Amino acid sequence: MANDALGFVETRGNTGSIMALDAMLKAANVEHVKTVSIGGGFVTVVVRGEVGAVKSAIEAGTEAAATIGELICVNIIPSAHNDVFGLIGINK
Amino acid sequence: MEQSLGIIETLGFATAMEAADAAVKSANVKLGEWVKVGGGKVNIILRGDVAAVKAAVEAGVAAASRIGKIEGQTVIARPSEKLTGIFPIEAK
Repeated sequence: MANDALGFVETRGNTGSIMALDAMLKAANVEHVKTVSIGGGFVTVVVRGEVGAVKSAIEAGTEAAATIGELICVNIIPSAHNDVFGLIGINK
Repeated sequence: MEQSLGIIETLGFATAMEAADAAVKSANVKLGEWVKVGGGKVNIILRGDVAAVKAAVEAGVAAASRIGKIEGQTVIARPSEKLTGIFPIEAK
């Protein structure tokens, strides 16, 4: 139950998303769940962990992604619903 | 039991997941597969009875429009069964 917070950093272009992921993995104890690319250059990095860890990771990731390319959207879902985990393709 | 169909189309994957999470938590609906439309657009498929789907779409759109752009939303009370073969609208 503890680590079901999900963090999303969505950038246009891959460089920004790799920078963000690198910063996030270093900043806090979060696990990289998936990198989803949905066309049009939109790449979303999904991380998972405890709410506090995901929050600080997302802050670091946002900063990193903003320096390179275009940051589209950043979001944290503090306790994601089971179906959302299934939607993303990971089991809770 | 005839299931209604709700679709939320967002710009960006993170926004779509926020919409899905809010929708699933707000009413008794099931999520279908998310659809990659291209150009950064994503569809969220919701199934359930018509009142639940309506409430879920509204909740999903309200939550997602705070962090990203909503491209479109619709509720089809009685979708034709022929739609199933053409568009992935089955609940997971």
